[in-house]
Amino acid sequence: MRGSGEKLVRIALVGNPNSGKSTIFNQLTGLRQKTGNFPGVTVDIKEGRLRFPGGREAMLTDLPGTYSLYPTSSDEKIVAAVLANRLDTHFPDAVIYVADATHLEKHLLLLTQLLDLDLPVLLALNMSDTAAEIGIRVNTTKLAERLGIPVVAISGRTGENISKLISETEKLISGNSDRAHKRFYPLSDVEKHVTEAVCLNLGLKNQYQGLLVAHHHGWLPFLSAQHRSTIEAIVHDKDFASLRAQVDETLDRYDRFTPIVQDAVQHPPQFPSTPTDRIDAVVTHRVFGPLLFFVVMLLVFQSIYDWSTVPMDLIESFFSNLNIWLKALLPAHWLTDLLTDGILAGLAGILVFIPQIAILFLLVTILEEIGYMARVVFMFDKTMRRFGMNGRSVVSLISGGACAVPAIMSSRTIGNWQERLITTMVTPFISCSARLPVYAVLIGLAVPAKRVFGIFSLQSLTFGSMYALGVLAALASGFVMKKILRSRELSYLAIELPVYRMPHWKNLWLTVWEKVLAFVIGAGKIILIISIVLWALARFGPGKAMELAAEKARLEAARQHLPEKAAADLHAAYQLEASYAGYLGKVIEPAIRPLGYDWKIGIALIASFAAREVFVGTMSTIYSIGSSEDDVALRQKMKSATFDDTGAPVYTLATALSLLVFYALAMQCMSTLAVVKRETNSWKWPLAQFAYMSVLAYLLAWVVYNLFQNSAHL
Amino acid sequence: MQRRYRTVPDLKAHESARALAFEDAALAGKLTAMGLLPGTLIEMVRSAPFGKAYYIKADGVRLALREEEAASIMIDV
Repeated sequence: MRGSGEKLVRIALVGNPNSGKSTIFNQLTGLRQKTGNFPGVTVDIKEGRLRFPGGREAMLTDLPGTYSLYPTSSDEKIVAAVLANRLDTHFPDAVIYVADATHLEKHLLLLTQLLDLDLPVLLALNMSDTAAEIGIRVNTTKLAERLGIPVVAISGRTGENISKLISETEKLISGNSDRAHKRFYPLSDVEKHVTEAVCLNLGLKNQYQGLLVAHHHGWLPFLSAQHRSTIEAIVHDKDFASLRAQVDETLDRYDRFTPIVQDAVQHPPQFPSTPTDRIDAVVTHRVFGPLLFFVVMLLVFQSIYDWSTVPMDLIESFFSNLNIWLKALLPAHWLTDLLTDGILAGLAGILVFIPQIAILFLLVTILEEIGYMARVVFMFDKTMRRFGMNGRSVVSLISGGACAVPAIMSSRTIGNWQERLITTMVTPFISCSARLPVYAVLIGLAVPAKRVFGIFSLQSLTFGSMYALGVLAALASGFVMKKILRSRELSYLAIELPVYRMPHWKNLWLTVWEKVLAFVIGAGKIILIISIVLWALARFGPGKAMELAAEKARLEAARQHLPEKAAADLHAAYQLEASYAGYLGKVIEPAIRPLGYDWKIGIALIASFAAREVFVGTMSTIYSIGSSEDDVALRQKMKSATFDDTGAPVYTLATALSLLVFYALAMQCMSTLAVVKRETNSWKWPLAQFAYMSVLAYLLAWVVYNLFQNSAHL
Repeated sequence: MQRRYRTVPDLKAHESARALAFEDAALAGKLTAMGLLPGTLIEMVRSAPFGKAYYIKADGVRLALREEEAASIMIDV
């Protein structure tokens, strides 16, 4: 991540959760940002370039929001781990500390810890416009004097004073800030002894850094095993009660900075009843609260379907036309096939998801930005705890409705390892947007377009049941895992319920842009590769098999005097059966026959184990209708398909339902497994997840097939 | 039952009291970092729809606390 040539100055953005840090990050960097994945550590840190008016640049790092350097969750640990290690690649040369001006008396704890790390710090008082509106007056000159650091009053939302923030930051890194701060917290005697020994052993120069290492020696990733045991011995020898010392230090810091804040900030006589209180009286109400939540969820999913239809149709018809045009233009050759049926079909399969993913993330981000998600966490904490999770898991499970990959990454705010692990393990059960096209094809095929009680369409009821099945499977496995795992580690809810506010549009667009890009590049790469591999598997066969099949088809067509179109179809079918894909499908057919599947579905299943969204494309290829054609053509082909040996129809209601259940429950996403591996730091959990989800999917699909086998055929 | 002190779950809706101390060091670490300190004025707003959690205001800052977290905060009578 180092810049080419001279090393860029690194500036970190630090602050409490809800301080509006990311808005400021977006203001400062705009589109010049990216989320980096750093191998070895489960860290996602956002970075961007900050450009100063004179043309100079600096690397700006957005560290996760935290209240203190004594962390209780893994994203908070990232901040402590970076700041406690001067050799960390992300260790900053200077810090912009973002604090909420409306609650300054609660937001300076972490700042005083930074002061003790001897870092050049600048205090950015965010939401200064809101503070002024509610009658809070901050004397920035006095604050700067008392703290010994530059202070800028800004507003991330309106962009007020952002240019001043940039010029002050440039002064800070050039060493032109005339302020100099002193150590803030004087160590106690025990702390002094422990710290001196730690600093001596590790060659550290900064006292407070030594203290942090003493507190966190159990988990800090940069410590060697030898250092760890040395520090363990020191801590034990000096009788250092870490937890107690942390609380005492925190209280001492408050005692020291509270008078400073009181001196510099003037509050209105009392807190007036605000719109937030009136909104919360309904939103977190005993009855209306949960009711409103379900209405909101319904609206979210309704919007995803309603708003995505038109753009999805446009994308599909664009690729279909492009395909037809290219096939007419280019000579008939396997390279042409590769371009049209392989690469373009794969691209279409990726891009067609963008509307749904964008809409879902837009809505989830809006809910988060306005402050609603924190209320959901509060309301459903108890419910989720029953299933081994945490109120915060609700956010992950809802995001799982779009894509499990970012949903699992959002579980980092859960402090308790077991609750976080269970959330990670069960989130893939939630029907993600990749399952939608599979559901659409199968439901359209198997479920009659009838209405029940004259209102509900049977097809949309089935759609709904697929979601319900996912939620049920997630909760049930959470419940079971809670019984198996059992941990005594502390679990926290303690969460701030922020003031309701309008979403910041720049934040929204940047978040949606970032997630869509992550999907297109991350999952898209895999989908594209798989669709090319699949194309090759279906296009080529072992030895002379393909030539033989072609010859056989020609003879058979001639014998039956088939018309040209039917002869071509027969040719394609014989070719596919002779190809590597047909061969693979036949190998696994015995295993999947009990679920009602033939070797053609087998091919699709194999392909889907990498990413389930390739199902529709694969089925289109297998039934040689080309992925450019619409669902209807595919459904007609599938409807007339029969088993090769018995001649019985393949797609009975029983088979379709069994396939639906299989796709709802099976772990068919390499990207998700990769993320679970990264988040849990071991192969054990993704492998366990893959195994139990597949077994559950197989068993339930088998049960469903046998239950419906004797009911009415299509 | 008479006790020398109460804890946050004992507060009725819209009742306020000052925090005195904490019963658990680990929870105290988390709560003090969030700005809930001895001396902080705590107002009970309401309990969660399904129970086991509380919506409170600590010096005007809105917080959601779980039963155990709220019960670890001793308040004046």
